[in-house]
Order: sequence, then C-alpha cells, then structure tokens
Amino acid sequence: MRASHFAFFMNLPTLLCLGLVLAYPIGYAAYLSVHRVGLAQLRRGEFPFNGWENYGRVLEDPLFWVALKNTLVFTFITVSSEIVLAVLIALLINQSSIWTSRVTRFLILLPYAIPPIANGLIWAFLYSFQFGFLNRILFTAGLIDNPINWAGNPDTALYAVTVPYVWRTLPFAIILVHAALQGIPRELYEQSAIDGANAWHRFWHITLPMLRQIIAIILILRTAFAFAVFEEILAITQGGPGDATWVAAWYSYKITFAPPNNFGMGSASAYILALMIGAIALVYMRFVYRRVTL
Amino acid sequence: MSNDLIGKWELSRRRVLGTAAGLGLAGLSGAAFGQQSGPLSVAPKSKVDRLNFVVWTYGDIYTRIAKQFETDWGVKVDSTISSFNDHPTKLATMFAAGEKIDVSQSSPFSFPNFVNQGLAEPIDDLPGAADYIKDFTPFTKQVATIKGKTMGLPYFSAVWVWNYYADMLEKLKIDKPFASYDEFIEHCVKAKKDGVSRYPILWIAGVGLEQLPGTWYQMTWNKGGAFFDKQGNHMLGAGSVARETLKWWANTFEKGLDIADPESLKVQFTSGAKAFGAGKNLYRGPNHHYGLNICNDPAQSPIAGKVKVHGSPGEGKTIGVTHVYFLSSANRDKEWAWKLLQYLGGRTKDGNYTQAVSLAKDAMLGSGYLSVMNSDAVKLGWAPWGDVPAILKIWDQAAYIGEVCSSVYQPWHFPWTDQLNIEVQKCLTGQITADQCCDNLIKGIADAKRKV
Repeated sequence: MRASHFAFFMNLPTLLCLGLVLAYPIGYAAYLSVHRVGLAQLRRGEFPFNGWENYGRVLEDPLFWVALKNTLVFTFITVSSEIVLAVLIALLINQSSIWTSRVTRFLILLPYAIPPIANGLIWAFLYSFQFGFLNRILFTAGLIDNPINWAGNPDTALYAVTVPYVWRTLPFAIILVHAALQGIPRELYEQSAIDGANAWHRFWHITLPMLRQIIAIILILRTAFAFAVFEEILAITQGGPGDATWVAAWYSYKITFAPPNNFGMGSASAYILALMIGAIALVYMRFVYRRVTL
Repeated sequence: MSNDLIGKWELSRRRVLGTAAGLGLAGLSGAAFGQQSGPLSVAPKSKVDRLNFVVWTYGDIYTRIAKQFETDWGVKVDSTISSFNDHPTKLATMFAAGEKIDVSQSSPFSFPNFVNQGLAEPIDDLPGAADYIKDFTPFTKQVATIKGKTMGLPYFSAVWVWNYYADMLEKLKIDKPFASYDEFIEHCVKAKKDGVSRYPILWIAGVGLEQLPGTWYQMTWNKGGAFFDKQGNHMLGAGSVARETLKWWANTFEKGLDIADPESLKVQFTSGAKAFGAGKNLYRGPNHHYGLNICNDPAQSPIAGKVKVHGSPGEGKTIGVTHVYFLSSANRDKEWAWKLLQYLGGRTKDGNYTQAVSLAKDAMLGSGYLSVMNSDAVKLGWAPWGDVPAILKIWDQAAYIGEVCSSVYQPWHFPWTDQLNIEVQKCLTGQITADQCCDNLIKGIADAKRKV
C-alpha cells in the first residue's frame, strides 16, 4: 500500500466524524436557510422552497444591522484586549526566574474552567446597580459617589459585557502565547544582547515576529468565538437595555427559538454571520499569518 | 354605611355571580370539591407505560402532582422543566424534533402562536371538558378559546396591583397612598427630596412578554386607553392615551424626574418583589398581585408585613391574565394525555382541583376557575401575605389583557413584543422620545406580521 493511501485510510475515521458532526449540520442549515421552516414544517418534514427570501428578510431587518454593529464593536474590543493582555501576561509568566510565575500559570487557567453561563451570572451579580460588589468596592474606595448602572445603561452596557467575556477567554490566548514564547530559541536573545539590543528591541525585533503566527491563530479563533458571543449576553443583559447589547448570535437565537420560530430566517442570519467570519479569517491569513524568516 | 354596603355589593357582584355559576356547576356535576365524578375516576381503556409534560419551573408543584398521578394510575410521568423564559424554546425544539409531548403549558402571549403552529389540540369534546368550561373565569375563557375552540385548561390567574412600603409612607408623614398619578409623583419627589428613598419607584420594566409591556398596558388601560381597537387598528398615534402614558412614564427615569430605580429595567415579577423587599423603594408596580408572598415573607424580606397592596388611580381599572396548560398534538395517547392535563389544570381522581388549590395556598396565585376563586383556598390561603378583600376588590375591576392589547390573539404579537421591549427601553433610557417609540412600533406592526 502506498504511503498516500495509507494516510488516507488513517484519516478516514476523523473525516467521517467531522463530516457527521460539522459538515452535516452546516449543510442542513444551508438547506433550511433557503426554505420556509417553522415548527409545523419541521414536524411534518415538508419545507417549501423560498429561495433567497430568508436572506432578504434578514438583510432588510434594521435590528440585524444593529446587532451586527454591536457584534463588530464587541469583537474589536474583546479580541484586541485579549491579544494585548495575553502577550503581556505571557511575557510575565514566562520569566522562569520568578518562582511565583509557576503559581500564576496555574491560577490563570481558572477562569477558563468556569462555564460561560455561570461566568455571566457571576458578573450579573457583580454589576447589580444597588447591591453589586463592583459598585460597593468603588464606593468604599471613594472612587464613586453614586452607584453606576453598568449593565443597565445603554452607553455602558456593551462595554460592560466585554469585561466578563475577556476575563473568561483570556487564559486560552495566554496559554497559546506562552507556548509560543517557550519555542523561541534562547540563542536569539543572547546574540541580540551581545549586539547591544535592549529589552524593547528584543521584544520588537525577535519576540513579536516570532509570535506572529500564533497571534494570527488567536485572532482567527477569538474573532470567530467573539462573533458568536451568546452566554454572557443571555446572563447579563438579554440584549438590553433596548437594543444596546443585541449581538448577531442573540439575533439568530431570538429569530429561531422565540415564537413564531422562524428556523429558515434564523439559519440565514447564522449563515451571513459565518460568511463574515470566514472573510475576516481570510484577511487575517493574508495580512498577519506569514512565515517567519530570520 | 349603607352606601358602603351597596358599593361593596356592586364591587363583588361579579364574584357573587361567579359563585352562583360555581354552585350551579356543583349541582350539575356532583361537587366542585372533594367528590369523585364518573370520568375522573375511570382509567382510559388504552395502555401507556409513561406520560410526560413540558412546563416551566415553579417550586415543587410538578414533582408532587406527577407523584400523585403515578400513585393514582400507576403510570410513570416524566417531566421536562425549564425556566419561564426558556420554556417556548424548549417546547419548540422538542416538538420540532418529533419528540412525544403529552401536556405542556403556555403564557397567553405564546398560545395563539402554538395553536397556529399546530402544537395544541382542542379539548371541547373530551369527557368532562364541558364542566370545566362552565367553571372558567372570564379571563380563562378569553385565553383558552381560540377560533371558537377550547384549547386549554387554566394554570393560574393574576391581576396587576400596586405595592407600597407602609413604614416609608409613614416616615414621609403621608397618611395614605396616592389616589392620582399627580399625587404619585408628589410622593416620589418628596421621598427623594427628604432623603427617605433615592429611587422611590421600582417599576417592572424588565424585558418580557408581560413585564415591561404589562406595566405600559396597565397604566394605559387605567387612564382610559388601549393599544388596539376592536377592529385591530392600533391606538398609538399622536395624542393617544398609550403615547401620553409612555411620555409620563419615561419622565420618571433618569433623564426626567430621576425617581425611578434603574434596576426597574432588569427586574421581572419575582426579582422585582425580592428587590422591593430590600426596603429601598416607596412604591412598586403595577405588577402581578402575588409578589406579596415574597415581600411579606419574613424568610425572604427584611420588611415583611410592611408591604401593602394598593389599587390603581381613578376608577381603579386594571388588567389581569391567565396562563394555560394544553393537550399537545404530539401526545402518545389522547385519552391518557387528557387525564394528565386534568391533573395539572383541572381535577384529580378525587374530584378536587388539587393543583389550583395548592397554587393558591402555597404561592398566592389566582385560579382560572370560578369555584376555586370563591373558595377558602383563596380567602384563607392568601391571608398570610396580603389584604385579601382589597386584592379581590381589585380583581373585580380587572379586564383581561387582551381587551387592552388585542394583538395577544395574533401570532405576530410575539415578534412585535420583542420590538416593543426594545423601543420602550430605549425610550425609558432617553435614547429616543415617546413619539419616536410609538411611531417605530406602528411601523413594526407590519414588520411583525411579515415575520409570521
């Protein structure tokens, strides 16, 4: 048996699993998005074809555009915050000469172990206007005179939701950056030190270029996940106040699962979102993910 | 004195008539309570190994009633229980996935949608259904009857009332709660000015089908307005009562008088009752009456016993609602499903309205049956938490929410309410004016109809 055939057969089980778990739902959602699908149709298994109508209805819905705008703002804030913080924190815990960094490496993982919905509920309590811990701390510290309505004010609500989200997902980015940091050859730093490079120069000319690939991967993954943010929205604001925190995934959820349960339109909105994420991933790959040459 | 008596008699006339109807029913069908009637004690001929219901959570009532059913009939009952807000989603996905569902429940706002999509079956022809229908309260009839067919049995009923914190009122040296909306504002402004309460009013303005919308519906109705006329035309135009009420309401928030608790935009009925129990607000409402069983429960509220019920200004007009259980069209056996439905929304094998009575006693919920509303289950059961005659007086002045907002009968009401929640919250937080809000909602009616 030739090596290529052997490789093919070895990959077949994985391919089948991915096909069933990923490709089938994706394909089925595409099918639903061009059909009229409500509860009754799902029950009967008969879906009248309606072409691009669902897509048209999504695109002409002003709420979809509000949700998309909020999603873009949310994604930009959370992903950029995660990248910056992940690099900073990974650099800190990468200092093996500091013994506490080993403890920190363990502790930093804790938020990632918290279920997203539980994280949302914890922060909902923290943000509570009159009884929340955050306002209590700020008031006690003399930083505020009156409580701040973090999640209930349309001017602050979306930003308020970004904090718990970043808090929960940051460890993932830190781990990846930290792993990449450990892969950078020490000789590079030693040679640059001999050449007289200071810490900033070493970071800018060695560390950052060597992290470029992992940063691209984090950008792609975190952007995709941030675009689909749902649990924190559900637990903290449920889209409110008004439409201040309606995001794309919340829109798809409401369209699909709240009466009149328009599964076709919900699938169409999810597909539009997926296509946008795909396009952004291509942009990242084109401009960020480059092979490192030293 | 005699005038008072006449007044009382007139106010309770509906209840008296209800009692008469209930007694008539008792004469026809055996008795409202405590007696076995034919079909109730007879097992269906078919065999099932299990049944199930899909409901939203409320204490342990479903565990108890399922256990009773199993004891009485030897058939295991599975339950799928989710939160109120998640229930339509859970039900929809189970139905869409082709799962068996014998009995489920609905708020009146989702119900026309469920019926429209074929989730519920009519019950008119089932044994004993006619007796139930005769005992329905007017609210129940309006919710359960769709296109001339009876589609469900009542879960519970509630009316919208106001609450006030008596000690705070006394501290302000105000001898009685407000009798007009101007007086309401006066009291709140005084409470804030005197430093007695930073936010004197806690509205129920959290996103929901009857929370934020219900507050607006109730005050509009109380002021003599409605949202749709009998022909289904909207009543939200310039100068309408609904629009003026919204202007007045929005003015109580931060951008206006700043007397409304910012938590108002998040709280639901139960969470609102818990927040009010902290003793930081003077008034709460208008909202479901049964919140008193939280505010006045010493285990849950530091101001227990100090929260009083209050009617609405003017003629005291208010609104009410009934939620329902229904026979799912995805049932595994219609006769057995009907039997189970009766355990949840009707009588048990012993002939009692077991569930309705325990809901009244344990949770201060009203019933969708005249005979239960007129029984000691309500009169004695509610007494630990509130002034029962006062609540029942308010009950008599309540109209079904569908009279105020007839779109509840339409499948497009649900998506329109989604928009209503968004637009009104934007108005209350000063992002748009009440005029813009109402104009958007008028435009949204056509959009919502297209979504169905």
